[in-house]
Amino acid sequence: MIRLENLHVRVGTFDLRDITLEVPKGGYALIIGPTGSGKTTLLEAVAGHARLKAGRVFMHDDEVTHLPPERRGLGFVYQQYHLFPHLNVRDNIGYGLGPGRGPRDAADPEARIAELADMLAIAPLLDRPIRGLSGGEQQRVALARALAPRPSILLLDEPFAAVDPATRQVLRRELRELHEREGITTLQVTHDFDEALRLGDLVAVLAEGRIAQSGTPEEVFRYPNSAFVARFVGTGNVIAGVVERTEPGNGAGSFRGTFRGGSLVLEVVAEREGPIHAVIRPEDIVLSLSHNPGSARNHMDGRVVRLERIGPVTLVHLDVGRPLIASLTTQSVEEMDLKAGKPVMVAFKATAILLV
Amino acid sequence: MPVRSLLSRVVLAALGACLVLFIVGPLLRLLFFASPESLGAALRDTELRDSIVLTVFTASLATFIAALFGVPLAYLLARRNFPGRRLVQGLIELPVVVPHPVAGIALLLFLGRRSEVGGALAHVGLEFVSHVPGIVAAMLFVSAPILVSGAREAFRGVDPQLERVARTLGDTGWGAFRRVTLPLAGRGVLAGSILAWSRSVSEFGSIVILTYNPKVASIYIFDRFTAYGLQAAVPAAVILLLVALTVLVVVRVLQPEERR
Repeated sequence: MIRLENLHVRVGTFDLRDITLEVPKGGYALIIGPTGSGKTTLLEAVAGHARLKAGRVFMHDDEVTHLPPERRGLGFVYQQYHLFPHLNVRDNIGYGLGPGRGPRDAADPEARIAELADMLAIAPLLDRPIRGLSGGEQQRVALARALAPRPSILLLDEPFAAVDPATRQVLRRELRELHEREGITTLQVTHDFDEALRLGDLVAVLAEGRIAQSGTPEEVFRYPNSAFVARFVGTGNVIAGVVERTEPGNGAGSFRGTFRGGSLVLEVVAEREGPIHAVIRPEDIVLSLSHNPGSARNHMDGRVVRLERIGPVTLVHLDVGRPLIASLTTQSVEEMDLKAGKPVMVAFKATAILLV
Repeated sequence: MPVRSLLSRVVLAALGACLVLFIVGPLLRLLFFASPESLGAALRDTELRDSIVLTVFTASLATFIAALFGVPLAYLLARRNFPGRRLVQGLIELPVVVPHPVAGIALLLFLGRRSEVGGALAHVGLEFVSHVPGIVAAMLFVSAPILVSGAREAFRGVDPQLERVARTLGDTGWGAFRRVTLPLAGRGVLAGSILAWSRSVSEFGSIVILTYNPKVASIYIFDRFTAYGLQAAVPAAVILLLVALTVLVVVRVLQPEERR
């Protein structure tokens, strides 16, 4: 278990603030955020490499805020691997098993090295020097080295950023399997929300040194709490505008209203008035060729601008007076014979509009 | 190849060649000036042998002291950002710009019996002026900056993240330094030490003021030249030159050619 309470770290003029996060025992959490949002700094703070201005760090109910990195019992895998260039693969993996490397179980280092090398399919590389290993091989060695002392916590800093997409897929799957087999509480940093959807039980979106939102990847993706999160995780169409109440009444609870964003006027179910962002997920947008609005409250004329086929799904880029993206199955795109320039009827429900 | 490009290459090569010849020419002339017999005779000269032994001993001692105090300083300068770091860096490089006789006079004033420091040290039996410790002090003064900057660059060449990795693998700060940083910076630190050593061997200007006798090799050569003329100084000069060339080759071998 990792628990962070109100962490505040300053690096130069950058502040990482009010970081409160709990990763349950055996959980897999991802910190996502754009470059410069403080992701790596956060990991360094957990590892004990960064000096805290305030806040506390707990691991398995023990406070470790003031412990040096070597006494926190964690493994750290860096984006650039940082293998020891003067040691071969075997000695890199075995580094944390040597004498004087903390109070760890290193009864049979050779057996542990062999076990990990088998698990990560790097046994034939054990006697090779680091120079000459491919990116994927280096990443496996770095992972084996971090896991060798059986840490109860694993920190990963963009571990797949520097490998090719095919290797990334394989490594992701292996990492998830390893995580389940060894039961390690894992905290990973990434700028790729797709990775969070595939790997994490928990995700925290970092923006300018603060946690903008945290929850399950599904929650964050479906119900982003801000335009920033919606844009960053790629929830869909994010439109700035203003909400006005259209039904009488006041006070708490949701009400019917009108959202105006540029030329777009939508009927919405809102909870507050004033400036706001409307988020519409591409899969909630219905396209039809006839003027048959059905039960959807919002419908408008549009024109297909461009089709973007992603396997069985096709993103339809529309012009409804402003750009809008709809997501359809490729099959229905073919059935409707959609192509650039074709006029279509665009519809979605008032309840499909998320106001943040 | 266009004519202009060819011409500019020829001009550049010619300019470079002039300087290289200017450096190599005199040294080659010196090497072949001495007859093998005179070299043999010089090697049998106990006074020259003693001065070479003294030079090697004092230069080694000065290098050892410089390393003992300078390597930790070099590490601090390379890794830590402390207030006054730039000032310390500038101060440590001061001896490079101070003319050597000036350094000798400053050391004489500082370590002479009439100064507080020199007086106190003389009281515990450590005499500098006209004694061997004076040679070591002068060598240390002029060579320490070379060792510190060489070691500093060697430490800078080691990715600090490697130490952090070692720490998360359970190693202490000292363990990470000993097992990761030092092995990786070792060659560079050694190369810096050898350069500092050869700087000590070649020192003349400050030693001549502090300790003329016993004579180190450079002073011995100067002494032979002023007392007996060119012919008498050449064999000793050749021997010192050969020592310097050997050191240069060793440093070249130790220093990694390309650093990625």
